[in-house]
Amino acid sequence: MLTLVALASLLVLAAVPKPSEAIVIYTGWERHALVGSDVRLSCSFFSWRWTSEDVSFSWTYRPDGSRDSISIFHYTRGMAYLDNKGPFRDRLEFLGDPSRRDGSILLKNLEFSDNGTFTCDAKNPPDIVGRASSVRLLVFEKVPIQAGVITGSIIGAVLGLLLLIVVIYYLMRFLVARRVFSLSVSKHGKKKKEGSQQRQGSAPPADTAKPKASEKKKLESRKERK
Amino acid sequence: MLMLAGIVIVHLTAIILLLVATIDNAWWTTDALSTDLWGRWELINSAWHYTNLKDYPEEYLQAVQATSVLACIFSILALFVFVAQLFTLPKGQRFTFTGVLQLLACLCIMIAASIYTAEFHTSESGAYGHSYILAWISFVLTLLLAITYLVLRKKSEDSVFERGDVA
Repeated sequence: MLTLVALASLLVLAAVPKPSEAIVIYTGWERHALVGSDVRLSCSFFSWRWTSEDVSFSWTYRPDGSRDSISIFHYTRGMAYLDNKGPFRDRLEFLGDPSRRDGSILLKNLEFSDNGTFTCDAKNPPDIVGRASSVRLLVFEKVPIQAGVITGSIIGAVLGLLLLIVVIYYLMRFLVARRVFSLSVSKHGKKKKEGSQQRQGSAPPADTAKPKASEKKKLESRKERK
Repeated sequence: MLMLAGIVIVHLTAIILLLVATIDNAWWTTDALSTDLWGRWELINSAWHYTNLKDYPEEYLQAVQATSVLACIFSILALFVFVAQLFTLPKGQRFTFTGVLQLLACLCIMIAASIYTAEFHTSESGAYGHSYILAWISFVLTLLLAITYLVLRKKSEDSVFERGDVA
């Protein structure tokens, strides 16, 4: 057992990348947005090095069904360069904070032609070896309802309501029967108090016999009402 | 005894018809198409292909799905409750719980079939498939069964049923 743990820890240590190994870039997987709205495409990275002053972010866009990508955003040496000729001119905004390793951009006023794949590539010199990460943008006319959500909620609500009604029905019957039971016990209790001085010795057995009799009456009345 | 067997057989038939109507994708058919409620079968190049439903009013489709599933659930529950009430109901009582559940099943399948008739395939050419027809038939069966359960009374343990006018 101990040797297994030792071997496993050795493997983990061997797998950890050494400093100045690859940079890891994180974007989302897919973004859904309504036509005409704004969407934020986030990009951040992990690197063993400190964030350098020469950190750079670049975004490229490949439309759905096309093979070519065009560059739409570049940040380097403290300056952000936005698309001024391509499909996103005047529609981009840089939201990120490079000192915090955030290279997010904002796409404004989406159109249907914006469907496609956006790729973020970040470099943190001297840590420049890494794989760019892509996020897919889907633009909808109206947000689609997920399959089965309404179905499931209707079924759940109706069955839940039915269960509630049945539980309340049996609870009411139980409470009413108990109220009848407690009323009959209090009646017998009063009689017992009046005659307690005369019948003190025989009071306990009479007490246990009377509740049993009233419970039998209660059961019979329940069956009759059923 | 015979009446009890007959009623149970009709109830089982209603359950089976409801299940077929709900599960089988054949509410609307043409020569090369069989569709709803869950998917679409298309005959392309003499091979049947199954695809998802597209361009449907999403809320109505899910309402039809939900109510037809609920109808099946209520009908099956009614069968179990009927068998339970056969043994627990005192003499002379009506099978109200069973009747109410069967009535709910009838209501649900009626809602499903009505929404489907009103909202889907209103301006297409084709014909209603066997699932749709079975849905309406099971509506009739469940209605008759619900009325039966609400009217009949339990006689005794050995000769279960009796007409409603006996005290």
